[in-house]
Amino acid sequence: MSALTPPAASAETRVLDTRPGAEGPSAAYWTAFAVVVALLALSPLVLPGFWQRFATEILIWGLLAMSSDLLIGYTGMVSFGHSAFFGLGMYGAAAALLAVRPPSLWLALLTGLVAAAVVAMFVAFFSTRLRDIYFSITTLVFSQIFYVIIFTWTEVTGGENGLTFRQPPFAIPGLFSIPFTRNGLHWFVLAVVALSYLLLRRITQSPFGMVLQSIRENEPRTRAIGYHVERYKIVAVMLSGLFAGLAGVLYAIQNKFAAPDFVLFLISGETVIFNVMGGMGTLVGPVAGAAFFLLMKEVFSRVFYEYYLIPVGVIFTLMVIFLPQGLLGFLRRRLNQ
Amino acid sequence: MTNGPLRTPTAPAAHGRGPSAVDAPILRTEALTMRFGGLTALNRVSLAVPRGEIRAIIGPNGAGKSTFFNCITGVLAPTSGRIVFDGDDIAGLPPHRISKKAIARSYQITNILPGATVLENVRIAVQSRHHSWSLLRHHRAYGDVIERARVVLASVGLADKAAELAANLSHGEQRNLEIGIALATEPKLLCLDEPTAGMSVTETHATVELIRRIAADLTILIVEHDMEVVMGLARTITVLHYGEVLAEGSPAEIQANARVQEVYLKT
Repeated sequence: MSALTPPAASAETRVLDTRPGAEGPSAAYWTAFAVVVALLALSPLVLPGFWQRFATEILIWGLLAMSSDLLIGYTGMVSFGHSAFFGLGMYGAAAALLAVRPPSLWLALLTGLVAAAVVAMFVAFFSTRLRDIYFSITTLVFSQIFYVIIFTWTEVTGGENGLTFRQPPFAIPGLFSIPFTRNGLHWFVLAVVALSYLLLRRITQSPFGMVLQSIRENEPRTRAIGYHVERYKIVAVMLSGLFAGLAGVLYAIQNKFAAPDFVLFLISGETVIFNVMGGMGTLVGPVAGAAFFLLMKEVFSRVFYEYYLIPVGVIFTLMVIFLPQGLLGFLRRRLNQ
Repeated sequence: MTNGPLRTPTAPAAHGRGPSAVDAPILRTEALTMRFGGLTALNRVSLAVPRGEIRAIIGPNGAGKSTFFNCITGVLAPTSGRIVFDGDDIAGLPPHRISKKAIARSYQITNILPGATVLENVRIAVQSRHHSWSLLRHHRAYGDVIERARVVLASVGLADKAAELAANLSHGEQRNLEIGIALATEPKLLCLDEPTAGMSVTETHATVELIRRIAADLTILIVEHDMEVVMGLARTITVLHYGEVLAEGSPAEIQANARVQEVYLKT
C-alpha cells in the first residue's frame, strides 16, 4: 500500500511550478499538445473495430485518472473513493436519460455532474478533516456506502442489474439532432477530455492550485501563513469529484448502461494505479497510465487468459520499484510550466 | 474556554481605552497557562510588549519559550488566560486566523516548502493576502503578488536566489528565507524562534543586522539562546523559568540579576 502514497521523492523531482523567467508554456508544449490531440482524433479512422471503442474508453478512464491527480499529485491526498463520483455521474446521467423523452445529452451531463457534486460535497465535508491514510480510508468507506445503497435500492437503481437506456443524440435543441456514430462519439469524448485537461491544468496553475501544492509540500506551514487549509481541501475534493463525475457521464453515454460495479472500490483502486503508473502531478501522466494499464490488461488477458493479472501485477510492482516517478514523471516540470 | 475571565494582579492595570490606545501594548498576555496533563508548561505568564519593541524571551531548555510562541500563534490553545493582541483576545484562535490578525512566526526548525523555488516560498505567503481564491487565471498573471515577493526577498538578502529550489539553499539562507516568508504576510508582530540557530558567526551577524532593519516597522518577539544576539538586539528581556516569569528588565538589569545568573546565565 505504501507504494500508492506519493513517494517522498527528492526535491529535484517534486517542484512547485513557479519558475521565474519561464513565461507560460512554450511553443514546444502547444505543438506537442496539438499533435497528441490530432493523433487521438485520427485514431478511430485507422484502428480496427474493437480498438476504436477501446481508444474512446481510454480517454474516459484517463479523465477519471486526471481528476484524481488533482488530489493525489497536487494536494497530496490519496483518494480511494473516486468510484463513488464516477458511479454517481453514471447514475445521474441514467436518471435524466430514462426520465426525459427524447433523451437529452446536455441534460444527462447536467444531472450527472449535479449527482457527482452532491456526493463530492458530502464526502469532502467529512473526509478533509482527516489526513493521510485516514483521509484515504474515509473516502473508501464513503464510496462503499454508496455502492451498498445503489446495490440494494433495486426499485430506483435497478440493483445488481443496473440500468440500461438509449444513447442520446448529439443535438443542439432547435438546430439539429444527429445520432452519435462510433467516430462521432469518440470525437465528442476527446473534446470533453481535452477541454477538461486544459481547465484542470489552469486550475493547478492558478493561485488556488498553488495553495494546493503548498499544502502538499508543507501543510502546517501553509496554515501558518494564513490559509484555511480545510476549505481549500474541500474545494479540491469537490472539483476532483466533479471531473470524475463527468467521466462517469461519458462512460454511461458510451455504454448505454449504469451498473453498481462501477461504484465498487476496484474502480477507485485502478484510478490510483493509473496515477502511480503514469506519473502523479502531471495530469497527462495519469491518462498515459490509464492507457498503459488497460492495454496491458487487454493484451495479457488474450495471452494468459484468466491468469492475466499475474503479469500485470509483476509489471506494476517492477514499475513502482524502478520507475517510481511513473511513465511521464520525468516531464513533470515541463508539463506544469 | 478561550476567554477565561482570569485576571491577575500582576497584569498591567492601566489600559484605559481612548487616546492612550496607541500607547497600549500591542501584545499582552494575562495569566497565560498551558498544561499538558500533569505538566504545567506555562504558569500564569503575564507580560506586555509595547508597540515597536524588540522583546527577547530567554530561559533554560524546557522553560516554556516554544510553548509560549505556540500559544500566541495558535498552534496550541492555552488552558487558561488571555492573549490580547491589538485589542482583541486571540487565545485559542486557529493558526490561519492568527496569521490574518498580522502575527507571523519563524520556526526553530527550518519550516519551508523545500520543493518550491525560493520565490514561490515567499510568493505563496504574499498570495495569502491577495487573490488566493482565484481559480482560472495563471498565478503568474498576478504581477503585484510577484512584485511584492521580490521586494521581500530583497529585504532578506535572497534576491539573487529567487529561482533556486529552497532545498538547495545553505542553512543560513534557509533561516533567512523563514524570516522572509513570515514578513511576506505583512505582520505587525513577528515571532522569531531562535533565528540564528546553527549559523556561523558571519551569518549570525548578518541576521542580527537584518532583524534590526525590519524592526523599524514592526514589533518583534525573539527566543534566542545566543546571549550576544539577545543583548545586542533586545530592549527588554523576559526570563522564563519552569513556565513562570522569573525576571523582566533591560539587558543590563537581567545580566545583573542574581536569580537569573543562578538559573540560566551561569549554567
